[in-house]
Amino acid sequence: MKDQLLKWLLLFVLSGFTAFHTRAQDRTITGKVTSAEDGSAIPGASVVVKGTARGTNTDATGTYRIQASTGQTLTVSFIGTQSQNITVGNSDVVNVILRQEASTLNEVVVTALGVKKEKRQLGYAVTEVAGQDLAQTQRDNFLNGLQGRVAGVNIATTSGQPGASSQIIIRGVNSISGNNQPLFVIDGLPIDNRTAQSANFVAERNSATSFANRTVDFSNRAADLNPNDIESITILKGPEAAALYGVEAANGAVVITTRKGRSGTGRISYNSNFTVEQVGRLPELQRVYGQGNNGVLQSNVFNYFGPRYPENTTFYENAENFFQTGTGQRHNLAFEGGTERYTYRLSGSYSTRQGVIPTTKYDRFNLSLAGTAKLSDKLSTESTLQYINTDNIKVSKGANSFLLGMLQWPATDNMSGYLDPATGLRRRVTAGNEIENPYFDVNKNQLRDVGNRILANIGLTYDATNWLSLTGRAGMDVYSTQYLIKYHPQSNRAQSFGGSLDQATDNNRTITLQYFATARQKFGKLSTTMRLGGALYDYNYKVLSSRGEKFLDPEFVSINNTDPLTQRSLSRLEQRRLVAAFGDVTFDYNNTLFLTVTGRNDWSSTFPKANRSFFYPSASLSFIFTELAGDAGLRDVLSYGKIRASLAEVGKEAPPYATSQAYENQPTTGGGFGYGFTAPNPFLKPEKVTSFEIGTELKFFNNRLGLDAAYYRTRSRDQIIRDLRISYGTGFILKVINGGELWNNGVELSLNAEPIRTNNFTWNTILNFTKTNSRLVSLPNNLPEFYMSDTWVYSNIRNGVRVDGPLTTLTGNSYQRNSQGQILISPITGLPLTETNWNVVGDRNPDFVMGLNNQFNYKNLSLSFLLDFRKGGDVYNATELFLFRQGLSKRTLDRETPRVFQGVLKDGLENTASPTANTIQVIPYYNNAYYTSLADENFIERDVNWMRLKDVTIRYALPNNLLTRTKVFKAANLYFTGTDLFMITNYSGGDPGVNATTATVGGSGGFGIDYGNLPLPRTYNVGINLTL
Amino acid sequence: MLTFSSCEKYLDINKNPNNPDQVEAALLLAPIQNFYALGIQFDARYIGRYVQNWQWFGAGDAWDLHGYVPNSDAGGEIWRNVYWKGGLNLENLIADARANEKWDYLGVGLAMKAWGWQMLTDAHGEIILSEAYDSDPNKNTFNYDTQEKVYAEIVRLCNEAIQALNRTDGRVSQVQLARGDVIYKGDRLKWKRFAYGLLAVTTQRLASKKSAYDPNKVISYVDSSFTSNADDAMLTFNGLNTTDASFFGPIRGNLQPYGQSAFIVRLMDGTVFEGAKDPRMPLMLQPSGDGTYRGLTPGSGQSTAASVPTNTRVVNPWGGTLNVTPAANTPGKYIFTNTGPFPLMTHAQLQFIKAEAAFLKGDKATALAAYRRGIESHLTSPLFGTGISAADRTAYLTNETIIPKTAAELTLNQIMLQKYIAEWGWGFLDTWSDLRRYNYSSDVYTSFQLPQNYFQNNNGKPVQRLRPRYNSEYVWNIDALNKIGGLDIDFHTKPLWFTQP
Repeated sequence: MKDQLLKWLLLFVLSGFTAFHTRAQDRTITGKVTSAEDGSAIPGASVVVKGTARGTNTDATGTYRIQASTGQTLTVSFIGTQSQNITVGNSDVVNVILRQEASTLNEVVVTALGVKKEKRQLGYAVTEVAGQDLAQTQRDNFLNGLQGRVAGVNIATTSGQPGASSQIIIRGVNSISGNNQPLFVIDGLPIDNRTAQSANFVAERNSATSFANRTVDFSNRAADLNPNDIESITILKGPEAAALYGVEAANGAVVITTRKGRSGTGRISYNSNFTVEQVGRLPELQRVYGQGNNGVLQSNVFNYFGPRYPENTTFYENAENFFQTGTGQRHNLAFEGGTERYTYRLSGSYSTRQGVIPTTKYDRFNLSLAGTAKLSDKLSTESTLQYINTDNIKVSKGANSFLLGMLQWPATDNMSGYLDPATGLRRRVTAGNEIENPYFDVNKNQLRDVGNRILANIGLTYDATNWLSLTGRAGMDVYSTQYLIKYHPQSNRAQSFGGSLDQATDNNRTITLQYFATARQKFGKLSTTMRLGGALYDYNYKVLSSRGEKFLDPEFVSINNTDPLTQRSLSRLEQRRLVAAFGDVTFDYNNTLFLTVTGRNDWSSTFPKANRSFFYPSASLSFIFTELAGDAGLRDVLSYGKIRASLAEVGKEAPPYATSQAYENQPTTGGGFGYGFTAPNPFLKPEKVTSFEIGTELKFFNNRLGLDAAYYRTRSRDQIIRDLRISYGTGFILKVINGGELWNNGVELSLNAEPIRTNNFTWNTILNFTKTNSRLVSLPNNLPEFYMSDTWVYSNIRNGVRVDGPLTTLTGNSYQRNSQGQILISPITGLPLTETNWNVVGDRNPDFVMGLNNQFNYKNLSLSFLLDFRKGGDVYNATELFLFRQGLSKRTLDRETPRVFQGVLKDGLENTASPTANTIQVIPYYNNAYYTSLADENFIERDVNWMRLKDVTIRYALPNNLLTRTKVFKAANLYFTGTDLFMITNYSGGDPGVNATTATVGGSGGFGIDYGNLPLPRTYNVGINLTL
Repeated sequence: MLTFSSCEKYLDINKNPNNPDQVEAALLLAPIQNFYALGIQFDARYIGRYVQNWQWFGAGDAWDLHGYVPNSDAGGEIWRNVYWKGGLNLENLIADARANEKWDYLGVGLAMKAWGWQMLTDAHGEIILSEAYDSDPNKNTFNYDTQEKVYAEIVRLCNEAIQALNRTDGRVSQVQLARGDVIYKGDRLKWKRFAYGLLAVTTQRLASKKSAYDPNKVISYVDSSFTSNADDAMLTFNGLNTTDASFFGPIRGNLQPYGQSAFIVRLMDGTVFEGAKDPRMPLMLQPSGDGTYRGLTPGSGQSTAASVPTNTRVVNPWGGTLNVTPAANTPGKYIFTNTGPFPLMTHAQLQFIKAEAAFLKGDKATALAAYRRGIESHLTSPLFGTGISAADRTAYLTNETIIPKTAAELTLNQIMLQKYIAEWGWGFLDTWSDLRRYNYSSDVYTSFQLPQNYFQNNNGKPVQRLRPRYNSEYVWNIDALNKIGGLDIDFHTKPLWFTQP
């Protein structure tokens, strides 16, 4: 072994001086390597002329080209298959069919730049999820299907409304204020996953009408994809994996490969299903005390601190009646086929879904055309073209939303009558300002987005010689979405200005270009692969928006229906460009030891000229130590063992236009210009993320048991902190600054096993375990705290982080305490006093999360289910705090019990040796100030655990003999899929997994803050798959 | 392949294309004027409760009780608008005016700057002055200056403004100034009078400082300032939608929880000025449903108990039910409409300042004349339109409880109370400064009653200042704030320099 290593090192050094060159050969042999199982091409298979150093790999279409002479033997091998030796005869074409080794998982994964690599070569963790597994969950947004399937990946859904945005974070938070979501890549090129910001609307320019990313939500654009068009998704978790994608991928990358069709007999497949969904858990309310304050009946308030309801009071089940059973259906039709040189796939999909809230819906139409072609022996191409149309109607969330209104509506009133039958106007139940009737809200206000999108992608590969190939890819992501937010003239949100209509149209154009040369060479047992290339990303995002008030016709929805004098408009253009050069070299010694070194230089338009260019490297090592064990006895137990390590650095970009100041148009009388919130920073430089990862992959008992373990540690320096608040003495309110440092680390374990394998029955199980930790090491300017203002949704608790604490904390105001830690009580009211400092009051980070995926097959029947576990982590139940303060919480039922709040009076003696104990008795029934004086942190629920059934599918494949008799169908199966069917949790509120903001909020965002959110609905699907 | 230089050019797109990065003074002025006025209106919701222009509809309100809301930006809008909406925009305006010999813009800019500091120090006392707008990205502590220094700077700026406004050379142009000036539409003379008016205001603030105070100066400043109501500094809003309407307009809905105070009702319904029914009352105040004028007492709120009939309850300044959003197209009245106008400095106000100065000097004849002009001026204010008949006006002016026959009979109470009426609903900072100078004394402000119980953090003292804006200072400028005692929970009761002898 020592000798081998020395030899290897020598070769490594020599290779630096050795130019790649070809040798004179007899003649060119070409051929295609295909899979015996399904006839599909096998890219990346190794073809070696036995006894020589000559070798090559098959390209994307499974084709190879090599110089050999008659009588020589070609060894064709591919991981997971049985190698084949073929003697070269007279034919110049040698096609090879490889048969899979029993029970081996597909070990080729798509990595950065769309390059397929054998997993054994990789020195970092990657996880691949089959598109079929996601499509099978029948979710509109395929991201939601990823939760639990990949260790280290966390998906937070904004709400249970159709089309809600989802936030995906891989390996924790790297940036305290910036975007932490990964890059989305389709067929090698990045696409946009924007969630529209409320800043796009004119209304946002006035604090009185702004939405602040809390009360409205729009879909994240990656949700546009049709899960049925996805062949596979590879999650590149850290900067190691993503170093070749550049700045965009500092948070990891979700690399999507689309289906391109398979050669062979043409196939038509049709998949259809029907869905019903039911509302998830809702909070329980008290029904003992009626409207009023301090025990006095007041029928014009929506507080429930009044006297007890009289006996025989009629109550209405307003909440239960409000929700409906959601319905939906999906249809997918795909045609595919091809020859050895061409494959194609055409698919169309239509899905429609009506949510559990009346009026909400999400419709999507996808059309996709994809194919591959081998244009000549040397030139091959693959391309995809997708058209997507979406139409989404949502309702408000958070403060003043239908949900809080529904809970707060008097149970003694039938809420469903939202219009006055006599006048046709909004029916009011009090003489004063009253909350919005949820029926009125959902029926008369509107929140809608309608999108059209085209994704196009073309790739060309030119195999110049048997050791050099050139690849170029160009992609385009063009979409336009129309957003509409309409508030009815009688709605609380717009009654003082007679209705409002905000509309915006965005136009996105992302152009991406990538080209690289790949050279391969083999020196004895050492193979090298080298890549050198460049990339260009050009982002152009334009928004045109307008707003009008004072509706002429209260019902007609159009800007034309608003008073022309109130109409305002706004245009916003955001441009960003990136040019990059990159390279990587992989050394492969005897298929046993792999070293990959990468380097990339980016030039980003978002930095000042001096800091525009930045370089970052990475190195990773993979060692298949079982290759060294000659002893077959050991190999029977440990069939495969690998250790891996990697070290990488990657930069992160600044937001556009942060380096110089521009005025903003002012909408006040007389017009004019004034500076915006944020001070310019002409000295911005890239944020640096460095990461270290070590891991192992082990397979036992001929691959029936496998373990993948990883430990990583990421350190982020020179954070680009957006929206850092500053003294207004600067002339600004916020600034963008480099500074601060943080780290996060974690452990990921993935265990897969096939405990039972018989002819008729198999059981496969995968367990994914994730544990993360993080720490804010420093903030710029010795600031003690940083918080995301959009997450400050109710009372005084928010997503705030303090130095030396984790990045997932909540900060809030605690009780005032004396030097001995006793709570201070007001001598006037007898109620506790709250301090005004912001302390860490909770941490939303779970101890660990776990996904357990099981698949059982018995003859034609299969059952699979995914359980999602979470242990620990705090959730701020702001909904419950709201209900508590309104007197609706069941926790307020003991209000007639007199009590003395334990603590000492703040009477000047509180810090002496003998403070005055509080003896002031309070009966909350007569003094509901009691309920507002309790510290908010009482409503942070500690150590919230859950176990959810994320999805379950039962599938029955019709027997072949039945199908052959039909002479029409090649395959047919029936299935039932349920999602989010049950959850066992110690959380007292609705759903602890929701998010108080939208996915557009940076940092750790609004997860773990539950305020007026609709829990995820329970969804039941039945469907059929047919293949012709 | 891109060459290096073309690549550099390709990446040179980081200049914000949505708005200009340099604009001329004319385009900067109007927003600053708007935001100064809106800032006063915004914070008036809080100061208005301190000075008892109006009170909160519910009982036990912190601001009614001279307190504040911790962890809140409430009471920090002037802070925001002077430092941010004015701030560098105003600095750039002044720089553009200076560089391009727009002496009229320079004068207006300097006067606006002086006015901004005056508003800010009236509200908060010590402020960030000499370290403001430091552009060093690593500077994070912005120290406060004493009020004494701020006052000296205001006088200096006013004098420089007057010098600039006297110039007619360079690019001075009424047409150009009118482009940006939504207050005086480009009338330089009025701006000069405004600067003198501001000098009168700032000098009169120091009346308690026996050594520094010179009433003659105040009188001469007033004499150089407004000559009639035509000089009044007013901002008339477009009032077309929420962004360009008065903050007090029904379209904004901001005043719905506020009811007129019992104090202003006592001043106008003949309680204090015995039997003298004020002809302005029906135009300024709102009667309850039964036609009777009532007001709220600080901290008591408006009872909604069944025993208090709806038509006897106090209503909001638009005449609607307290804390109920007004219907669309509610007209409002006086300055409480969508268009305003909102007064910023008036002839009547300056005449009352003159009257007080002359009174303190001992020149009662001058005091009486100015006092009379002050009342006359307010009665004939365009804010009332034709609402006050000549007969009503004469009756009021000849009522001896309002205007005494002889100068010797004139009292300080009359001057300050009439000034209070004339400034009700807009002159919050001036009114509050006067009240603080006289320690909220009911000897001067007849029938004025401080709250029975103060807010819990007050430690039994009345309010003296607004705390600096929470999200600007209490979170991000703590070191500087600590030096002036800003972290004390009763910091808002700490007296200001200008009220001290």
